[in-house]
Amino acid sequence: MSSETGETGKAGIIVAPEDANSVDKLAHSVLDDLLYNIVHDLLIKVHRDEKMARAATAAIKVEKLASDASESSTPDAKPDVRIETDAAIYEEGKVLLKGNPLKTTKEILCPRCHLPRLLHPTDGKGAKKQDLSIIYCKKHPYIEKPGYDIYGQTWVAPGPGRGKKKKDMEKKLDPDASPAPGEGGAKDRPPNVLSFPSATCSKCKRCILVTRLNNHMGSCIGNSGRNASRAAAQKISNGGSNGGSQNNDNTPPGSQKGTPLPASRAASPRKRDGDEFDEDGDDSDPNNPKRKKPKPNVLTKKVILKSKGQSQGPSNKKEKVKANSMLSMEQRVDDEDSKNSTVQVAPKKSTPKGTSPTKKLKLGLNSKPPLPSPASTKKGSKRERDQESESSGTLSSPPQ
Amino acid sequence: MAARPATPASPKNFKVKAPQPGQPQYGCEHVQRLFNQDQATTNTSIQHYKMILRSIFDTTPLIPQTAKPMDSAAVTILTPTYLCLQCPSTLTEEDRAKHGHKKAHRFYVDSRSGGVYCQMCDDIVWDPTFEELRLRKIGTGTFSTNRKRKNEDELFAADPSKESLQYISTNTSIASCKANGLRGIYNAGATCYQNVVLQSFLHNPVLRNFYLSDGHQSSNCEIPHCLSCAMDDMFQDFYALENTNGYTAANILSGFWISDKKAFENLVTTKEQDAHEFFQFLAEELHERNGDGKKPETGSEHSCNCIIHQTFYGKLQSTTTCQHCGGVTNQVQSFLDLSLPLENLTQKRGKKNSGAAKGPAHMTLTECLDEEYIKSDKCEYRCHNCNSMQQARRQTAIKRLPNVLSIQLKRFEFKQGRNERAAKIDTPVHFPLQLNMLPYTNRARGGDVKDNYELARSCTYDLLSVVVHVGEIDTGHYVSYCRVGDQWFQFNDHKVELAQKSDVLGAKAYLLFYIIRSLT
Repeated sequence: MSSETGETGKAGIIVAPEDANSVDKLAHSVLDDLLYNIVHDLLIKVHRDEKMARAATAAIKVEKLASDASESSTPDAKPDVRIETDAAIYEEGKVLLKGNPLKTTKEILCPRCHLPRLLHPTDGKGAKKQDLSIIYCKKHPYIEKPGYDIYGQTWVAPGPGRGKKKKDMEKKLDPDASPAPGEGGAKDRPPNVLSFPSATCSKCKRCILVTRLNNHMGSCIGNSGRNASRAAAQKISNGGSNGGSQNNDNTPPGSQKGTPLPASRAASPRKRDGDEFDEDGDDSDPNNPKRKKPKPNVLTKKVILKSKGQSQGPSNKKEKVKANSMLSMEQRVDDEDSKNSTVQVAPKKSTPKGTSPTKKLKLGLNSKPPLPSPASTKKGSKRERDQESESSGTLSSPPQ
Repeated sequence: MAARPATPASPKNFKVKAPQPGQPQYGCEHVQRLFNQDQATTNTSIQHYKMILRSIFDTTPLIPQTAKPMDSAAVTILTPTYLCLQCPSTLTEEDRAKHGHKKAHRFYVDSRSGGVYCQMCDDIVWDPTFEELRLRKIGTGTFSTNRKRKNEDELFAADPSKESLQYISTNTSIASCKANGLRGIYNAGATCYQNVVLQSFLHNPVLRNFYLSDGHQSSNCEIPHCLSCAMDDMFQDFYALENTNGYTAANILSGFWISDKKAFENLVTTKEQDAHEFFQFLAEELHERNGDGKKPETGSEHSCNCIIHQTFYGKLQSTTTCQHCGGVTNQVQSFLDLSLPLENLTQKRGKKNSGAAKGPAHMTLTECLDEEYIKSDKCEYRCHNCNSMQQARRQTAIKRLPNVLSIQLKRFEFKQGRNERAAKIDTPVHFPLQLNMLPYTNRARGGDVKDNYELARSCTYDLLSVVVHVGEIDTGHYVSYCRVGDQWFQFNDHKVELAQKSDVLGAKAYLLFYIIRSLT
């Protein structure tokens, strides 16, 4: 290595002390060169991504102008026009660059939707305020903020002791009681705080809070093979009772079968009808048979709503939260917000009506204050609170 | 430079890449001028560029890193040199301008990346024509578009991209830009061991392409509670919807509960389980749904064309040499993953008692691989030639590398004795972002492959995802890291966060997934 032309390598950062011997100096300069290479490689990568994105932006813009100018309605045909912008020339179906796109083009358009890309995260590290007047491509920079995920979402902590529902129920019955501490108060929950959804068991079609789903299936499906529960029981006795810390189930899965809850849950049809009628406004839609196709619009809308949600305050969040527990079957498009944030698992066949684990709690509560219509709850903050604490409570109390 | 391999003159005329919508035709105005001079200039430029790429990527770095300034002796440097596109000179950055003035040569290739520097722009330019060649060289190692990895042909035989673009655009809907496959999966009660494996499947490009190109259509599948349908639905949900909240893998879960896989009955409890066992379970289940339906017998040389076999399965060959007569027996078996024992002082088990178990503070993945697939061990076996029990040397090497290499670091060791509890080995094992598997293949045994850069590249893997177990042996939590493009993400049940490479590399990995570079 004869790169000893200078005092050190090319980066000039790692410099040997004056009195170092020649091997020392060589080592320093080699290390310095390697550092230079690392930076060089990184830079090349970033440069490539950025320059190609800007070049593509210049091309997209000029192509857009060309197709606008040609007035031809067939989108595929290459318009026979010549358009020139500061960054590119459109001619004979080709785009030719003018100058360096890093200098001529400042923004980046998404190559798929042709909308500008938001270049800074909206929250957390490196966040900048976004220009609300611009419609950005929906691919946003990821958020890096402790306690939040890459979309800036956070979750209602399941909290300790959420499994014990009796206390919760007492609380819920008192509308003025402060929200359960573990919940953080649904009322104060900003729209990016999600709660845990429920899903439908594919066997019994019951709606189960997601965190209980595995246990439920263990008893609902798993008991067909007795071995499973036996194995589990054996494990418990073998492995010491401290075995499963996470899933606070010291009951063998089979025992859940005996719990009377499922039966009591299926409230009398009449009651339920009434209930449903009241809730009419905020039904979620577990009936969405194949999520992948039919409802993308709905979903899309919802996402937008959510991102705007900051400004809209607590009104839509409430619906979202509520919808988690609601299971009526009607499909209402105006309440998209609730839909997918909540019921994730669409049953393939439409589920029997209202087997919600929450029903019981709900009825108890709703019978107390006059039932507010969803529209009115949006205004009345007190009522809103009722509804929320109710729904969040039902959410977090597993059906056991 | 004389050292560059001479290319036989090709009579073929090179073409500039056809214009693509949303992309400029040339990297800059100057490249445009170069390509529009005449066909001969285009031919020589492209040919020369290919030659330079070969010299950068297929030969010892000594050649492209040696610059010959015009007025002095050759100098070999560590930092990038610039190879003139228009003549066979290699220059240092300082001499580049001088050369340009003297010869009016304006384009130079960066010896580290293969990118083209334009002197008139004073910038690297990313020309679509050059870039295509460069990416192909880095990827598959060949400039031709026809040659593919063997497996790929079968895998993407019905690749719709070969059909007309028109057909595709009229028959598909474009997913939102927001649908990027980055979502968490809710923990349904001690199911984090499933979530981490599902996430690593979801971010596996081979499986993703299979499912997103209707490899298994849940609408056409008759099997009730089919796990592959559940996977299909999940892929759709992750890559076609705009949802950013967690996913509830209820169908996977119920399919899992309903599945009658006897071998995995232990898994079906509501207790915490081993992610590796779930990986095996899922792989076999998906194999049965998509493959020839035969049960993959462990140890046999079973091969099938299903997506799981094409993704994960490779072949091992163990060679047993009789110490008495020198007779050699070969045995080939297919593998879903490589399980590497982590020996240390307290955890010596089975036949392996080598001295490497001095209990170093940490180990490296390559050390573990060396132990298993380079070193040989002694064993007793019944030699056919000698017709008696003999001492033998046994050595195992990889005969066929998989597209996605899954490695299990055996952190959970079960002691033989009944009363002994199983223990977890917490020793950190350093693993690389980029893994060269060539030394562990039986091709490496053959001749001298040290300087075969092309072969080495075809055995190069990039880290794709890492499954980490935190906590004790009988209770704990799984998280995983997956790479999407160059960005790493941490998946902790329903929570997805950005991760740094250092977070990933510092993790105490339990399962590692590497993907072959030529696919990506």
